[in-house]
Amino acid sequence: MLLQIEELTKEYRTGTRANDGISLAIGEGEVFGLLGHNGAGKTTLVNQVVGLLRPTSGSIRIDGRDMVADPGLARRLCSFQAQAQVPIDGLTPRQAIDLLGQLRGGARADVQRRRERLIEALDLGEWLDVDAARLSGGVKRLVAFAMAAVVPGRVVMLDEPTNDVDPVRRRLLWRQVRTLADHGAAVLLVTHNVIEAERSVDRLAILDEGRVIAEGTPAELKGRLGAALRLELVLDPDAVELPASPFGLSAVPVGNRLMIGVPMDAAGQAVAWAESLKHTGSIEEFTLGPATLEDVYVALVGGSDAGPAHVEEVIDANAA
Amino acid sequence: MQMLHSYRLLVTWQALRKKNYLPLMLAVQTLFTLGIVLGYPLLFPTLDRAAIYLIATGAPAISMLSVGLVALPQTIGEQKTEGSLAYMRSLPVPRLAYLAADLTVWLAIVIPGVVLGVLVGAVRFGLDFQVSPLVVPAVLLVALTSACIGYAIASLLPYMLTVIITQAIVVFVFMFSPLTFLPSKLPAWFEVIHSILPIQAMGEVTRGTIAPNEFGLPLGAFVTLAVWCVLGFGVTYAAMSRRG
Ligand SMILES: Nc1ncnc2c1ncn2[C@@H]1O[C@H](COP(=O)(O)OP(=O)(O)OP(=O)(O)O)[C@@H](O)[C@H]1O
Ligand SMILES: [Mg+2]
Repeated sequence: MLLQIEELTKEYRTGTRANDGISLAIGEGEVFGLLGHNGAGKTTLVNQVVGLLRPTSGSIRIDGRDMVADPGLARRLCSFQAQAQVPIDGLTPRQAIDLLGQLRGGARADVQRRRERLIEALDLGEWLDVDAARLSGGVKRLVAFAMAAVVPGRVVMLDEPTNDVDPVRRRLLWRQVRTLADHGAAVLLVTHNVIEAERSVDRLAILDEGRVIAEGTPAELKGRLGAALRLELVLDPDAVELPASPFGLSAVPVGNRLMIGVPMDAAGQAVAWAESLKHTGSIEEFTLGPATLEDVYVALVGGSDAGPAHVEEVIDANAA
Repeated sequence: MQMLHSYRLLVTWQALRKKNYLPLMLAVQTLFTLGIVLGYPLLFPTLDRAAIYLIATGAPAISMLSVGLVALPQTIGEQKTEGSLAYMRSLPVPRLAYLAADLTVWLAIVIPGVVLGVLVGAVRFGLDFQVSPLVVPAVLLVALTSACIGYAIASLLPYMLTVIITQAIVVFVFMFSPLTFLPSKLPAWFEVIHSILPIQAMGEVTRGTIAPNEFGLPLGAFVTLAVWCVLGFGVTYAAMSRRG
């Protein structure tokens, strides 16, 4: 694997243990998603890989070489889009992207050619020569992505690149992320957008309080949920009692909704049960659909009250 | 080679970032320097010619010190808080190239206003300076040392502490430093302190190169400043290379 992270632990001077024994491996050509609640430690992980933070313990290797010992090499091998906005006020996207490409060692003409392609692919043409101080947050973030992508490193670290970006351009962005991987980069991408991640990443890890609580392909993670379908109940605000799931599978409250895993062969039974709940007035409405990665995420990281748990624990608890 | 290549690109980047503030900075620096040159004689109308010379040649040092100790550390502090400094530090460039580029742009912003202020002051009071060519390294050294000290403080300390400490230094520079008066007016023990600190030396090198006929060239002051400059740069370099 190109990027190999082992037993990575980072404790800030304040005592916060933001990463707690994280092990991950990402190969060439792979898009790897990193999900997790606010403060889970995603940015901390990324910043250690790009050499901004020093791990408390554990190792980070790219192509077998030790990045903790040589942060200068890490900065050359990784291109990086930070979670914070890029400092390019006063520059136009054209200037910013070209400068970064050349700073990453690209030849001027190549950089310009690649910049043109990226600008077109991300549909940013109308802002090419506008001072970044006057750009919207989403456009600025796309420019930041283009800066990371114009002369990509062997590893590309993207910390929430889709934030603030409109749905149409988010698709364009995901396509470019895939293109980076197709050209051989190992891409690590932090996102809160579980639904898009399900469609776009090869593998993903879910981080919870500094630990990896699940890792695999989207299909693998959904498989571990043990339910192909998801029944979503919109609870009546006056209902005193939560309906108990008859399926022995995960039932997770999220706000005034209850998400219940349903096996494929119990679809009819589930609809009949939900109908009866609606009839008695304990729910307002329901929908039955295919289970998504979001269900896995919610089951793991928990809804409002449910604390974090491993998939197996959730399933066991509901089976009991 | 890579150093020079990175340096050139980073100067472009930093200059473009600051270009919107360039006219404002020029105006502020000119007015600030001029304010000191014209202001003191207004406050004390009885000042003699020697005192006016002293003020007009000490003003550029005060002006450069205040940028290095106020505007610069404040900007670096903000960059630290908003995370843009971390971004710049994540670029695959030598730290030396980054710092050199950033300092270059700072000096380019500071110096023109200072020069303009001194010129206008000289014309106003009809001062005939016999400027030495050493004024170029002198002004560069004063501006660079001020910037390096401010940079060192800001890169080492948290933002709030930076603001408090630099403000305190500025008060010390204005009220208790021999820039608009001669060190001999200070108590002896204070004179000793100022012979070690870089502030007095800044006044001496600007003065001694703008009007060498009046004050003479103090080589010792150049050495003092060089030491402080290297110290400030070294601390900044170490702080910028440090991983959290
Ligand atoms: N410089 C720091 N000093 C001390 N604690 C920090 C520092 N940076 C982050 N933390 C803490 O470390 C934990 C992880 O933070 P991190 O920024 O890595 O989370 P994240 O997963 O990126 O969150 P988000 O989704 O909100 O961006 C949090 O508890 C945070 O408060
Ligand atoms: Mg983050």
